[in-house]
Formats: sequence, structure tokens, C-alpha cells
Amino acid sequence: MTATDQRAAGEPKGAERGGGAVRELLPTASGPRVRAAVRRLARPHRRTFLAGFAALVAATAVGLLTAPVLGRVIDLVAGGRPASALTAPAVWLAVIAVAQGVLTAYGLGLVARAGEGVLAALRERFVERALALPLERVERAGSGDLTSRVTNDVSVITAVVREAVPALARSLLTIGLTLVAMAVLDWRFLLVALLAVPIQAHTVRWYARRAVPLYAAQRVAVGAQQQELLGTVGGAATVRAFRMEDEHAERVAARSLTAVELMLRGARLSTRFYSRLNLAEFVGLAAVLATGFWLVRGGSVSIGTASAAALYFHNLFSPINVALGLVDDAQSALAGLTRLVGVADAAPPSPDRDAAGRTGRGCEDGSAESDGSVLVSGVGYAYRPGRPVLHDIDLHIAGGEKVALVGASGAGKTTLARLIAGVHRPDRGRIAVGADGAGPGRGVALVTQEVHVFAGTLADDLRLVRPDATGAELRDALARVGALEWALALPQGLDTVVGDGGHRLTAAQAQQLALARLVLADPPVAVLDEATAEAGSAGARALEASAAAAVEGRTALVVAHRLTQAASADRIVVLDGGRVVETGTHGELVRAGGRYAELWRAWSDGRDG
Amino acid sequence: MRGGEVLRDALIGQWRYALPGAVLAAGHQAGEALVPVVVGVVIDEAIAPGDGGALLTWIAVLAAVFAVLSYSYRFSYRHAERASERAAHELRLRITRRTLDPRGGAETGRLPGELVNIATGDAKRVGAVHLSLTAGIAALAGLLFGGVALLRVSVPLGLLVLLGVPPLLGLAHLLGKPLERRSAAEQERAAHASGVAADLIAGLRVLKGIGAERAAVDRYRRTSRDSLAATVRAARAQAWHDGGMLMLTGVFIAVVALVGGRLAASGDITVGQLVTAVGLAQFLLTPLSILSWANGELAQGRASAARIASVLGAPPAVAGGDGVLPRPVPGAVRLRGVSCGGGALRGLDLDVAPGELLGVVTTDPKAATWLLRLLGRSADPDGGSVELDGVPLATLDPAEVRRAVVVAEHDADLFEGALLDNIAAAAAKDSAAAGDSAAAGDSAAAGGGGAAEKAVHRAMAAAAADEVAANLPHGTATVLAERGRSLSGGQRQRVALARALASGAPVLVLHDPTTAVDAVTEARIAEGLRETRQGLTTIVVATSPALLAAADRVVFLDGGAVAAEGAHAELVHRPDYRAAVLY
Repeated sequence: MTATDQRAAGEPKGAERGGGAVRELLPTASGPRVRAAVRRLARPHRRTFLAGFAALVAATAVGLLTAPVLGRVIDLVAGGRPASALTAPAVWLAVIAVAQGVLTAYGLGLVARAGEGVLAALRERFVERALALPLERVERAGSGDLTSRVTNDVSVITAVVREAVPALARSLLTIGLTLVAMAVLDWRFLLVALLAVPIQAHTVRWYARRAVPLYAAQRVAVGAQQQELLGTVGGAATVRAFRMEDEHAERVAARSLTAVELMLRGARLSTRFYSRLNLAEFVGLAAVLATGFWLVRGGSVSIGTASAAALYFHNLFSPINVALGLVDDAQSALAGLTRLVGVADAAPPSPDRDAAGRTGRGCEDGSAESDGSVLVSGVGYAYRPGRPVLHDIDLHIAGGEKVALVGASGAGKTTLARLIAGVHRPDRGRIAVGADGAGPGRGVALVTQEVHVFAGTLADDLRLVRPDATGAELRDALARVGALEWALALPQGLDTVVGDGGHRLTAAQAQQLALARLVLADPPVAVLDEATAEAGSAGARALEASAAAAVEGRTALVVAHRLTQAASADRIVVLDGGRVVETGTHGELVRAGGRYAELWRAWSDGRDG
Repeated sequence: MRGGEVLRDALIGQWRYALPGAVLAAGHQAGEALVPVVVGVVIDEAIAPGDGGALLTWIAVLAAVFAVLSYSYRFSYRHAERASERAAHELRLRITRRTLDPRGGAETGRLPGELVNIATGDAKRVGAVHLSLTAGIAALAGLLFGGVALLRVSVPLGLLVLLGVPPLLGLAHLLGKPLERRSAAEQERAAHASGVAADLIAGLRVLKGIGAERAAVDRYRRTSRDSLAATVRAARAQAWHDGGMLMLTGVFIAVVALVGGRLAASGDITVGQLVTAVGLAQFLLTPLSILSWANGELAQGRASAARIASVLGAPPAVAGGDGVLPRPVPGAVRLRGVSCGGGALRGLDLDVAPGELLGVVTTDPKAATWLLRLLGRSADPDGGSVELDGVPLATLDPAEVRRAVVVAEHDADLFEGALLDNIAAAAAKDSAAAGDSAAAGDSAAAGGGGAAEKAVHRAMAAAAADEVAANLPHGTATVLAERGRSLSGGQRQRVALARALASGAPVLVLHDPTTAVDAVTEARIAEGLRETRQGLTTIVVATSPALLAAADRVVFLDGGAVAAEGAHAELVHRPDYRAAVLY
């Protein structure tokens, strides 16, 4: 959030310090790229847009007839005509109103249809490209970057397209056509009305210079306040347990005060903005009245025309305020667009290994022939230059073999698992999956301790990996990982809405769901990275049984910290300091008396007691 | 506490800003109403007779009117905004305080996100009542002023406008009502598309891990198309509503022009007054629609106030108490006949000696959860008693209990901030441990900053959190993301354990502190735990053999009561215990 907003404020590409490494945010697009993208998205809706705008232009033009007709009423009265002569112009006024109403409704409807269509295409494209981004790239940026783009930027743009664009279009049309109409009354009215323009132009420039950074700072402050509240309220039990109530209340107060202060600065700025616009209103109105005075005295226009000019100008007040007030909305939407289009540009649309459905024997990429063997040769990897995490790893996993990766924290287990799953590309060496030697990641599924339950029904969640799966297949997959019982016990069974806003699953249930997805995806190779760690000790045993069932019949690489899990593997690979130090079966390694034997002793100490 | 009280407090609390704000806003609307009046006068007094002096005079009057309305607007809005923001800020703090209250209860039945929404969105809406009230008062002033001006021009014309406008807006409201309902439902479906997108992005790693990107994109496209259809329908309805409003007001102006024109033709009013009447008829629509808007905002504010009231008035989970613990706290824990949690614990008797390191193994996860709740007094037992050094916990204020007993839950949260600050958060407390516990000499926060620092470093070493720090780019100064999300599960656990150990509490209760830690590190932690807690009471609820082997004694709970106790090495011969522990 913070970093993206700094970018919105026009700062150069920022580096954000997160918990891990220095962040490299996803790119933002340049102005021409954004324009090209918007043009491409708008092209299919061109006709609708044009028709809508034409209707709005017509509506505004018709609406502008009101003032001259009123002027006509005034002239008739001033000319001492009988009251009956007024009926015709009054009827005209009513006809104008009806025509204007119908045309406006029709035009707005068309513009909204086209605008919403563009919006839908934009968000679909964004989601498609975001999901195609290499995971490594997303992690370098921090997942918060992508999340803030999909939530904040999309909603800002949506609000602008939905509300600001129609309002802006109508206001601009009214302003433009009113000025034309004033010129028709007498060109001198137009000339003096334009006296207000320099004041308005100056005011907008003055305002935009201050508003853009201020609103960016506001968004940062409000986001920080929200985050602080989430941390404090979400962690209330912990805060109480450690009696940190006062510090946390103070932290919330400090963040909230910062936000309040910035909001008030915003209020001061916008009130000064509208005050300055009042000055422009006065100057213009006074000038129009004075001009009316001279022209009436000189006999070149009637009192009715002068009144009409004054009414015109008075009616301009609110569209001008609306149009100028939308300047910063439009700017924030533009900033959001650069970030959305930036993501679309960052991910190549061509199907690469990450974009393609790469697991699943049922998938289209021909992994059906994969025998599930994995060959790692001479692989080295470093997250940060000069600090290698893996050195020269050689490892061959035969099809159907279960290999456990064991080692202390920081030994490189997770990194190796992710290389094989294709999340990272090795700096050195080569990884091949299957007999045909496909690249890493092909036909490999990765399940980690990070679980996410997708919002929607439980069945929909499972069908993400196999959209055409039948109900029976879903139940089979759940049964295999021991999840069918609780799934059927949910209020609506498999049709229960789960995830965000729905029924909350426990960590262990969510993890079993992830394993059921693995069963459905049915990849030849499965990599489990501590997929059973998050459950705490209570559910861990059940989860381990689920994991064992899920990898049945496939090649499996399991990163385990529970040695019992390792003991049941076909082979154990011990990593230390980024190197393979031992490999063999449990029995062999225990007898060998090396590093693994030492670990096993530490683990089973109590048992030997 | 009721919503009305919350709303009243929010309004009265800010009267210093709200009152001048309302007065100035009234001045602003009066000024706006005066503009068409002055324009009419200019036409009558200056343009029609061609009087240059009058023109200058009345333009000066117009300038004065503009000055008044502009400055009134500027300062009224600032005052109202200040009142609104301050009221929201104070509510936010009250909600935070209530949530953090040691007696708990505010979160019962609410998800954290919901509470955060109440503290942000609802607090903001209640504060914003200041804005809508100010606008409403200003609108009333504008109505009054415009109405008087119109009646002075002509009584029949004034009556026509004043009596005509409300039914007109009523009609528009009626027209809009069904649309509003329909569009609310459709807006919701539209919002769904953004929700689904955010959800898919949040699960990006999972999707990519299992290769479900394409299916996800297809599904998203369907959701998006669905939303699109709904939004387009809603937008079209809105467009017809807007068009309808234009028609109604246009026809109304035509009627005013007709009636006013006839009056002018018969000489009852002047031409300038006719211009004024038409201008005012248009102007009066604004304050009236502001009034109906303010009414809607007020309704929202009331609903928000009710939600806030339900948090502020939530019954505490446990009652307060005025008992005091002896100082120093020796740390003898005693449970007698404790039952709770619908059979999670059934008549549990348990004694923990001061300074003992006790392991607790439960077959039922609920028993563990309830034991933790009782020891930290986030709940009281249904039957039986929990005592610390002979004082029943139920007679103590929960804050007093937690000075002596720190309960470190399995899923305890870390907070945004430096790693070191997270760990030292509890060490800096003037806990009962400070200076008076049995092991104060080498425990946390024994007064000087040096001792606290030492305790933190010892705790970090014991929890193997020093290794975590060593792997971070800025060591202990590394800033953790919200809730420590930037760390892995195992790293988070070690940092949380270090925090618990650094508290140096006379009684420390740990729940599954090492489930995400590898075997080697776990063995090291078991040793460090024993050493750091030397002389202090420690209860470890866990199933890890390494931790249990380090305990002085292990209690095995089955069916809500003690099934066996003894050293871990003895208990492993029981098959049920082995099943619960060794896997």
C-alpha cells in the first residue's frame, strides 16, 4: 500500500523494505501505453459511445433552449402583450423538458453500457494477466502490491467510470453549449463570460498542484490506520495476554490522528478551491450583467435577451463546479490505470510455463506421458547475489518414488522444493521433469502450508482444478484425504459457501481441502512443503494421513520437519547449508550414524527416555 | 448502551465546531438564495431604466453577497468537517479501548474484519452526521430565505412554488424508490466481481501451485460478465430516473413561467421579479434535495450508531474483581473440580508447584483451549475454582491476573513493527515479575534498561529467535509486516515464543509453541525453555516429545480430567499417551 501510493504521488520506482528482502514493485505503464490499452478496450464499444454522446449533446442542446424561451416570455411581458400569448412559450418549455429528459436518459444509458463494458474488459484482462505473472515476480513485489491494485485501483477506476465520467460529460457539454448559446444571443456576452476562465484555470492549477500529493498522503494515512486497527483488533487476545492495551490504543490513536489531520488539510484545501471559484462566478456574472446593461441601452439586444444571458451564466455555476471538482478523481483514476495496465504489460500474453495449466494429467499440455521422474543436476540458487542458498544439488527421483527433504531451518529445503515446482528458475544447473525432460514445474503441483479457501461453494473451490469434475469425483477426492465426513456435515454439504464471507473452515480443514485439490488435479509429481505444519499438534496426525493418501501413486517430494513423516518415505535426503549431505532410507541413515541419526536421536529422545 | 446515546454523544461532544458550522452554513444558503434576487433587481433597477449609477450600486451589492456566501461556505464546511472527523476519531478510540478491555467480550460473535469495519466505516458515518446536519440546517435556511423572497415578490407565485416543490420531490422520491431497491441488489452483484478478483489474487500462490490459473480466469470472466449485465441494468434504471427528474423540474419551471408571466403581464409583478421567481424556483430544488439526502445520511448514521453501541455495550466475557495477589507471586496454580466448555473439562483437579515446569497433554483440543482460557481468565469455569497462590482468579481483575500469568496462545499474533520491539513489548512491563519474583535477578525488566535488554536477548536465544533475526536483512531491527505475515510460520512461532519468554512472568502458559519448527531447533528450544524459566512456574500444553521430555512432570488429560501423570519417560509406556504424543 505504502509503496504503491508513493508511486501515485509521482515518486520514482520505490524500494520498499518488507520483512524479507528489498521489494521490487510491479511496473506501472507509461501514458502512451495506457492510452493505447484504453483505446483497444474501448474499440468494440465505439458505436455505443458515439451514439450515447450524440444523445447527450442533443439533450444538452435542447435544454439550452429553455433560457431563450424564458427570455421570450420576458420580452412578451415587457412588450405589453396579453397574457394569452404566454401559453405557447410555456408549452414549449414543457416540451423541451420532456425531450431533454428522454434524450438524457437514453444517452446516459448508452454511455454507461459502453463504460461498464470497457471496465469489465479491463478487470478481466487484469485478472488474467495477474494470474499469469511468474510467482517469483509477484513475490519480489510483495503480494500486497498486487492485492492493492486489484482492490483499490479497480474500485477507484470503477467509481470514476460509473459516476465521474457521466457527470463530467454532462457538465462539459452544458458548459460548451451554454457558451455557444450565449454567443448566439450576442457574441459580446460570450466574450465577457470568458473573463472567468483565467481565474478558473489558475485555480485548478493551484489546486491540482496541492491536491494530488495531499490525497496520496491521505490514502496512505487511511490505509495505515486501517492496517493498525486490523493488527490491533485482530490480535486483541494477544494484546490482552501481554497487557499491551495502552500501547496499542496509543498506536491506533496516533495513526487515526495523522489521518484526521490530513483529512482536515484536505477540507481546508477544497474549501479554498471552491471559494476561489466563487470569485470567478462573481466576476463573470457582474460582467454579463454590465454587458447586458450596455447592450440594452445601446438598443442592440432586448431586456429578455439580457435576462436570458444572465440566467445562462447563473446556470453555469454548478456544472463548472462539478467539472472542476472531478479533476482529482480523474487524476487518481489515471494513476490507478497506469498500475493496472502496468501489470498487464509485465505478464507476457504468450503462454509460458507459468501461464499454462501445467499440472494435471487431464490437462492439455501432454504431461500424460510424463513418467513422473525428476532430475536435478548441478543446481545452485541465490535469492540475493553473493548469498547462495543452494550449491550444486544433484538429485534423481524415480517415477512414483517418495522422497523426504530433511534439514534444519535455513538448510534450503523450501528453496529446492520451489525450484522443482517451477516457482524459481535455477541460477545454475538444470531441472528436468519426466522422461521427455520437460522444464521444472510441468506436471508438478505444489502444496504449501499457506492455505487459501476460495470464496464460493466448496464444490466450486474444488472445481477450480478440474472444472468438469462430477459430484462423485469431488466426493471421492474428499474421501481420499479424509475430508468427506466434515464436508458433508457442513450446513449445505458441498454447496456450502466457504471462504471469505462464508462458512469458516479450520486451518486443518483448509489444508485438507488443498490436498483434495491435489487429488483432483492428479499431477504425476507432487511437492508438499510442510503442508501439515500449520494445524498445530491437534490436527497434525490426521493431516499427515491425508497427505500420505493424496500423494499415493505419484512421485512425491515432501519437506518435513516431523521426522516420523520422513521415516515413512522411500528415501530421505538431508540438506545442510544448501548441500545434500546424506541420502538413503531411514534405516540406512540411522545406522550410518551421521547427521540424520543425530536428528533422529534429538527427536526420539523422549521415546528412548 | 443504545445507538441514540452514541449519536447524541458524537453530536454534543463537538458542539464547539458544529454550532458555528451550522450558523455559517445557513448564511451560505441565504447568500445563494439572494443571488437570483439581486439579478432580478439589476434588471428592474438598472437594465430596464438604463440607470448606470444603479448598476454600479447593485453590482457592489452582488459582490457583497458573493463575499458573504463564499466565506460562510468556506468556514462552515471546515467547522463541520472538523466536528465530523473528531467525532469519528473519538468513536474509533472508544471502540479500540472497548475491544482491548481486559475483561474482553467485544469480539464475541464478530470477525476481526467486522470490528475493524465498525471502527472505521461506522465511526466515519456517525461522524459524518455532522456534515449532513450542517447541510440540512443550511438547506432549511435556504428554503426559508428563498420562500420569504418569493412571497415578497408575489403571494400566489410564492405559494405556487413553495407548495409545488415538496410534492414534486415526493414524486421523484416515489419514482426512485423501487429503482433504488433494485439497484442496491444489482450494485451488490456488481461489487461481487471485484470481490472475486481480490479473492483469486489472494489465493494466487495456491492457484499457481496447483496449476488452476486457467480455470480461475474462466470462472472470473463468467462472474465479471454476470456483474456487467447487472450493472448495466442498474445504470439504465438510474439514467431513466435522472431523465425523469429533468422532465419533472423542467415542466415545473414551465408552470412557474406561465403563472409568473401572466402575473407580470397583468402588472402584478415586474419583469425583474419574474426573473427572480424563475431563478428561485430553480434554486429551491437544491435545498429540498439536500434535505432528503441529509435524511438518508441520518438514517445511515443511526444504523451505524446502533452497531457501534452494540460493541461498546457488549457484555464483558468475565467480570472484574478487586482482589490482590501477594507480592512477590510465588506462582502456585491450583484447579479444583473445574468443569467448563460443555464437557471439555470435567471436574479437573490440578496442582502446579511454584517454579515447576509442567507438561500438559490433552486428547481433546477443546480441553487445551479451555485450560488456557481459564488460566488467563478470558473465561471463568462453570464449576469449580482456579486459584493462584491461594487467591481464586474469579476475585481478581483480569488485568491483575495477567500481571502474574501470561498465556501464549498457539496462534498468538505478532504486530507491525521492528522484530525487537515485538519481543520486548512484554518485557518492558512492570509485571509482577519485576523485582519481586523468585528469579527476578535474571528475569525480564528488573528495572534498568540493561537488564531488560539482557532478558530479551536471553529469551531470543532460548527460543532460537536469534537465528530468525540473523536471516533477516536488518536483523532485530527488521520491520515485520502486519501480523508478522512477512515471516514464515516457523519464524513467527519462534519470535512469539521469545516474546513470551521475555515477559518473565511468574506463571507462563505456552500452547504448542513449536509445531512449525524443525526437530533440531525444537530440541534446542526445549533446553533453552528449561533454562530461562528456571525457578518460574511454566505450563506447556503440547504434544511435542522434545518439549515434554524437558518438563519436570507431565499431566495427561483424557475425558476432561487427569488420566495419568508422571515423567514423560514413564508415561510413554501407556498406549493412549503414546497415541496422543508420538506420531
